[in-house]
Amino acid sequence: MDELFARPGTDWRPVSPALARLRRTVLVAAAALVLVGLSVLAVLFSAPAAVWVLAVVVVLVAGVVGWLVIGRNARWWGYAERDEDLYIKHGAMFRKLVVVPYGRMQYVDVQAGPLDQAFKVASVHLHTASPGTSARIPGLPATEAARLRDRLTALGESQAAGL
Amino acid sequence: MTVPAVDPPLERQYRRLSPLTPLVRSGILVVAALASTWEDVLHGDLGPVGWIFLTMLVAGTAYGTASWLRTKYWIEGDELRVDTGVVTRQSRRIRVDRLQGIDIVQPLVARLFGLAELKMDVAGGRAREGSLAFLPLREAEDLREVLLSRRDAVRAGRSGPVVHGAGQEQVIARLDLPTLVLSLLLSLETIGFVLVAVATWAALMASGHLRGVAAVLPVLIGFAFTQLRKLSAYYDFTVSSSPAAADAGLLVRRGLFELNAQTISLARVQGVVVSEPFLWRGFGWASLEVALAGQPGSEGEGRPAASTVMPVAPRAAVLALARTLLAASGGPDLDAVVLTPPPGRARWAAPVVWRFMATGIGPELVVSRRGVLVRRTHAVPHARVQSLQLHQGPGQRRLGLADLQVDSPPGPVAVRGRHRDAAEVRAVLDREVALTRRARLSAR
Repeated sequence: MDELFARPGTDWRPVSPALARLRRTVLVAAAALVLVGLSVLAVLFSAPAAVWVLAVVVVLVAGVVGWLVIGRNARWWGYAERDEDLYIKHGAMFRKLVVVPYGRMQYVDVQAGPLDQAFKVASVHLHTASPGTSARIPGLPATEAARLRDRLTALGESQAAGL
Repeated sequence: MTVPAVDPPLERQYRRLSPLTPLVRSGILVVAALASTWEDVLHGDLGPVGWIFLTMLVAGTAYGTASWLRTKYWIEGDELRVDTGVVTRQSRRIRVDRLQGIDIVQPLVARLFGLAELKMDVAGGRAREGSLAFLPLREAEDLREVLLSRRDAVRAGRSGPVVHGAGQEQVIARLDLPTLVLSLLLSLETIGFVLVAVATWAALMASGHLRGVAAVLPVLIGFAFTQLRKLSAYYDFTVSSSPAAADAGLLVRRGLFELNAQTISLARVQGVVVSEPFLWRGFGWASLEVALAGQPGSEGEGRPAASTVMPVAPRAAVLALARTLLAASGGPDLDAVVLTPPPGRARWAAPVVWRFMATGIGPELVVSRRGVLVRRTHAVPHARVQSLQLHQGPGQRRLGLADLQVDSPPGPVAVRGRHRDAAEVRAVLDREVALTRRARLSAR
């Protein structure tokens, strides 16, 4: 962890490990689908076994790389609630740090798709008057997401600044 | 045309738009009809095209008259109410305290009849919600005064009417015609046009088809058209302090055929951009744009942007105007902010352009400058910063660089610190976070 993304006074809070589990599940399912598709195609076109093996190896390697990348990315997610603003950091390759003052928040979204619900996580999205503000925290435990939303909304109201 | 004097209360007593409205609305159709059928008409018989136009004209006038009869507006309490609609009736209520600005626009045909359209900017609304077309110019101006003063009264805590200055507009800056024409001739479009023309000409010379010189003509026409459109839009560009909001407003008037009067409420200013195109630098000229809350800025390529506060002026005059616009933040001087370039190793991330980038933080502003052909200086007051971001890609990490991004509402302003030294940019971000917090607290 370098200086650039050091903790802002308070510790970074990690997202739920369920986020990596969710994404890995999706990855495995997608890889399995591709493998099945490849096998069907190989049978249909009676391709040589070597080609099929090569394709499977490529898919498996890609899957392993994806597995590792997901783990690394999930570890890089972090957020820190401070008195007047929220710090969010994410991205292992393309690193980002976003600072959103509570007084600038227009509204807060909590989203949970069917998959998110199955893994009992939700994502919190902060909106300011600027569409450039990309302040999203995925993979929060559902209770934590609700708590964060309520806290952010309350703080946003009490600290609201005019446009 | 007689205009009844506006009663000061204007309350519970509805008013109509100008009775000439249907005429002005179908004015374009009349011109089109005459233009396409005048030969037939001269011969004494109406061609099929003429009949179609005549039918459309009659139907349009009938509909327009019905629409005019149905359209009423009045002020009730803190609301401007507008009833419209022939088939589907619509009743719109516009809260006076949500009015951001009111523009008066006079298209050419309306101008011939002394009419004007009143366009209202409403907070939160992305598009213009309210429009009253057409009113006699006097009435439009009076209505704007009434609405704006009532808005200020409502915002001041419903404590009676706010007394305004004696309705004296003070001209702050005015653009003269020679400067405008010269600036348009020295624009980037000119360079582009000359390059295209020379290239075409060279190609024609090389291939020996000299008569093909006519191929340059469409380019010339397109070029002339865009420049003339800018000329007519920016003609007689005048910035004055608005009498309606004497404490916090600028009034921008412009136009040759279509007249435009736009109010800029200083409380809405999110930031400013000073542009200095390459060819203007010899004259020391610059142009000024403003970012306003709720106004997404430029209206697309080639069209003169509504965000322009001064199309061209000496740099000192532009900076003075910028200070006026930033009055809510203490009227800081853009040039007083010390800008530093990115470190030399940024050349590997952004080969040529890195030399043209600079960023700095002043007591009231965060400023960045970039652009090779057009040098643009973006400035945002700390109190108007929405959020802050740091970005670092893999290449930048190897070079020890990172990007700083200042988020603003949609508009022309975008302060960016590209390829800054990674060791210091986090400290800069934390300092800016502290500055924005203090600025918000003092503004609250």
